[in-house]
Order: sequence, then C-alpha cells, then structure tokens
Amino acid sequence: MTLAPPAVVPPPLGAPSPSLLRTEALTLTYPGGTTALHDLAMDVPRGSVGLVGANGAGKTTLFRLMLGQLHPTAGRLEVVGRPVADDPVGIRSRLGYMPEHDCLPNDQTAADLVATFGELAGLPAEAARQRASDMLDLVGLDEARFRPVGGFSTGMRQRTKLAQALVADPELVLLDEPTAGLDPMGREEMLDLVGRLATFGVSVLFATHLLDDVQQVCDHVVMIDAGRLVVAGPIDDLVARTGILRVEVGGRPDAVEAFTVALAAAGLRSTPVDAHVVDIDTAEHGDEVFDTVRDLVVAEGLRLYALSSRHHSLDELFVQEAQR
Amino acid sequence: MSALLPPALGGAVYDRGYRPYEGARGGRAAGRWALWRLTVRRALGLRRSWRQKVLPWSLLGLVSIPAAVDLGVRYATRNTPVGEIGFEFLTFRDYVGVSTMLLLFVAVSAPDVICPDRHDRVLPLIFARPLTGDDYVLAKVGGIFSLVFGFSFLPQVLLYLGQMLVAEDGSLSYVGDHLDILWQVPLACAVLALFYASIAVAVASLTDRRIVGGLAFLGTMFIPSIIAGGIVAASEPDGTVLGVLNLLGLPLIVRDIVFEGRVDIDQDAGLAGVAGAGVAAVAFYLLLVGASLALLHRRYDEGRQ
Repeated sequence: MTLAPPAVVPPPLGAPSPSLLRTEALTLTYPGGTTALHDLAMDVPRGSVGLVGANGAGKTTLFRLMLGQLHPTAGRLEVVGRPVADDPVGIRSRLGYMPEHDCLPNDQTAADLVATFGELAGLPAEAARQRASDMLDLVGLDEARFRPVGGFSTGMRQRTKLAQALVADPELVLLDEPTAGLDPMGREEMLDLVGRLATFGVSVLFATHLLDDVQQVCDHVVMIDAGRLVVAGPIDDLVARTGILRVEVGGRPDAVEAFTVALAAAGLRSTPVDAHVVDIDTAEHGDEVFDTVRDLVVAEGLRLYALSSRHHSLDELFVQEAQR
Repeated sequence: MSALLPPALGGAVYDRGYRPYEGARGGRAAGRWALWRLTVRRALGLRRSWRQKVLPWSLLGLVSIPAAVDLGVRYATRNTPVGEIGFEFLTFRDYVGVSTMLLLFVAVSAPDVICPDRHDRVLPLIFARPLTGDDYVLAKVGGIFSLVFGFSFLPQVLLYLGQMLVAEDGSLSYVGDHLDILWQVPLACAVLALFYASIAVAVASLTDRRIVGGLAFLGTMFIPSIIAGGIVAASEPDGTVLGVLNLLGLPLIVRDIVFEGRVDIDQDAGLAGVAGAGVAAVAFYLLLVGASLALLHRRYDEGRQ
C-alpha cells in the first residue's frame, strides 16, 4: 500500500479559502535546537478535525502556533482563512482554546469564571454573563454555575474549560485532550458534546492520542509523529483506501510459506499470521484480488478454509504510516 | 427549542442548543479594560467572600482617618485663631505617603492579583484571548496603581474641600490661593502609586505564592532602607547621595521635588545640601520603575507561558 500524505496543492496562502487550517513548509525549531514541527504542509477543511499523535508529537506546539503564541522558524500558517503572521493577537478573537492541563482558578464560581473569559475576549460585560449562562447550560453545568470551581469533579472542570472556550462564539475551538482524566461515562458525555459542536457551526480541532475518540466524533484527521505529517484527510476516505484480506489455507505442511511466495510473485504483499493464516494487503487492488487468491490456492494445490476482508482501523493506519 | 420530555410527565426539559453571538465585540482594548476591572475587583475583594474584603477595606479606611480627623478639628475650631488651637494640621505634601497602610495594602493586594494566575496555571487561557503579555502587565500594574492613586488622592480631596469650606477668607479665595495644589497633589500621588504598584507586582511575579510575594515586597522595601539609614547616619553631617537607596523614602523625595522643587525638606534622608541629589533621586526612581516593568515584560511574554 502506498498511502502517502495527499498531495498538497493549495491555493497561495492569503487567497480567500474555506480552509480551517493551512500550512506551508511550517517548521518550528526551539532555540535549544529541538525541532518541534518539521516542514508541515496540509490543507484541512472546516468541520470536526482530529489532530492525532503520540505525546510529544507536536500537537500542543501546533496549537500555540495557531494562537500566535509561538512564531514559526520557517513556513507559513493560515487559520480560518487568515494568515496568523499578519495579526497573531487578533486571530485569537476567532478561536477558543481548551488546554489539556488543569487551568481553572479554584476560588471563582463557574459563572464568574466563564463570564470573565468572555469579557477578556472582548464581549461586553452583560453579554458575557448571558453567554456564560448559556454555555454552562449547554455543557450541563447550569445548576452548578454559582458554585466555586474548586469543588468541581474532573468531569465538571473539563466541562467548565469547554464552556470558557465557547463563550465568545469562536469560529474554531482548539481542544487539547478534552477526555483526559475522565471516567468512561464522562468521556462519552464529553465526546457527545464535542461531536455536537460542528452542528452548531463551530469547527473543532481535537488533539488526542486516542484514535477511537477521533473516529467517534471527527470527519477529518491529521496525524503527526515527531513533528512530521504522517497522513491527513477525510477519515472515511483514508480508511476506505486500506484493506486486508485474511486467508486461511491448508492441505500442505508448508502451506503458508508456499502461498506467501506465490502471492509475492503475483505482486501482492502479505504477512503470515500463524501456520494457516495469511493477511494480504489489498489496498490499491480491486476485487480482482479475490480471483487471484482463488487461482493461486488452486495452482499451489492448497485447500481454502476461510476468506474475510476488512479495512484498517485508524490505529493500524497510524502505526503503518508512521513506520514508513 | 425542542422539548425532550413531554409536558405530560410533569415538566419539560429544554435543550436550548447553541446560539451564535452576533453582538458587539470590543477587541483587544476591551479585553485589556476587562482585565483591569478584574484586577481592581479582586484587590478589593469584590464578588468574593467577606473574609477577602476585610483586610483591603480596613487598610484603605485607615488611610482616610487622618484626613477625617484633620477636617473635624478644622470644623470644630473654625472660629478659633490658628495660633490658639494647639493642633498641627496636615499639609497636602505631608499627606502623600504619610500612611504605611497603603504600603501594607499593596503588599497584600499585588500578590493576590498576580500569583494565583501562575499558581492555578490560568495564564495560557488568558493568552489564548486577544491579549499580549504587555496588556496583562499594563492591566495588573494599572489596577494596583489605580487603587493606590485613588486611595491616596481621595483623602486629599477631602482635605482640600474641608480647608476650602472653613477658610477665613472664603472658599473662592482659598481656591485662588492654592491653584498649584491642583496639579501637585495628583502628580505626587501618581509618583507614589506608580512606584508601589510597579515594584510590588514585579516582585510578586517571581513567585506563585501570595504570602511569599507580600513578604518579598516588604523585604525589598525595608532592607535597602535600613541599609541606607546606616549609610546616611555614618555620613552625617555632610549627607550622601546614597540616601536615595532608601526605597521607603524615595517616592517622598520625588514628592518633595514636585511640591517644593528641592529634596529632603524634612532633612531625614541625608540628601539636604548634597549636589545632584534631586537628579539622582529622580534617575533612581525611574530606573527602579523601568526595571520593574522590564522584568514584568519578560515574565509575561505570552510565548513563554
């Protein structure tokens, strides 16, 4: 399978664009010499987007670049259609941000806290209080709004963080590991909330290392590893471009070895699973691969016990692409 | 709106969903203004428990007592010749920096408005708003400056109005004879407020613990002053320019320049008659304020948070 990152031929940066995030050779090297992001090029449409990578892959660094808090060493970056370098502070008025770490002052009530962040984003005081009330209602904290945040559970604190990110009605909300530290029930509720945001017209960039979460709520994914782009695109397309055909054969003691050699000769890549089972990578092959397998089984004098096909999961896709 | 539960069950839960905001947005200036208001509110304990209000309001109340006493005595003795009163009335110059209550207020409030943001890791959230590190510094120093200025200036207004009302020659005559007070008092109060606010916030920015920040500020003010006192005592009767190292006295030295155009009127700073003392005092004052603001600029560069 040659699932390379999609060729990026975006219009020139600065031209009107419906993109959520566009980067061009984006590189960030810290003064100590560590390169956090390396030559990143992508064009991500608006909607619900997962930003996937292991811890330290560069997800939070990318967020800080988008917020104009860090400046790239090289390359360009455009967020919600605006070059960040042109107005690194002003771009923040269009973004909401929910950090991964705990960041809430314990001695304020949820209503005061969320309203304060609305005011800091430029909303008039009265409007900020109304929006705070609405957002706390939206995240399910309407009855706890006048309680100090210090007494909140982890799940309630995560919801408060989400409410403050939404209070100024951003075009895009950056969520950094929003399900971190939540129990299964809390995680499901948070994912449900995040999944609803796109229906409200608020785009989401959802950083996580949990691919299941992304698959549940996002329609696009950007995978990065060690600061480099692994793959980016619509989740359905990426998954559809993968395929595994699992074949169980017998009839000879060396059935799997003989079958693997025959598959290689026919141009099919395969991986033995055990003494009887072989996984065949069927990406970039059509349905004719079934005929080829049938013919090879007959030609090698083998017996065909079972045949099943499936797509890769995002986890498998990430591992496979990261190892290229 | 959509009802999730039918009213027949005894009530209705409404999912109001998400409503976009289409009202006015103030941008960066509004954010800066909001942060200033938040700072002032927090320093005064507003929207906080009564325990958080006691200390700032007590200290600020005490600041006004001398003015109230002065005014009361003036009113009670308004028909008595000044020489027979036996009471030393305060001057406007005396009242600037006369109370250590303002110093204590700053030692309590400056760490309170700045340390929790670092302790609770709120700064990344603040700098995700359209605000820069300099906006943050401006709002925090500006908040403390405003309170110190306000609570050193308002008693002066009380004093001025009282003196005006009991003036023997009439109120208008008093105003005409004291026009210079109208710029000297606000300027001297601003000198004091800027000095306290910039140094206190800068020192507090070095720690995320309020008590440490408050004690560090008091130490910063008192320790050089004690050392300067020793140097000045050793230099008597000639005096020494090193008297400007008395940080508690420095804003009062600059105040004297504002009111009288010369330094050390009370002759307790060891600067009386020392050549270049006025320039040295102003230069040292500006150096300290500038260094404090530069430290804050560096501490709150949003890219570092």
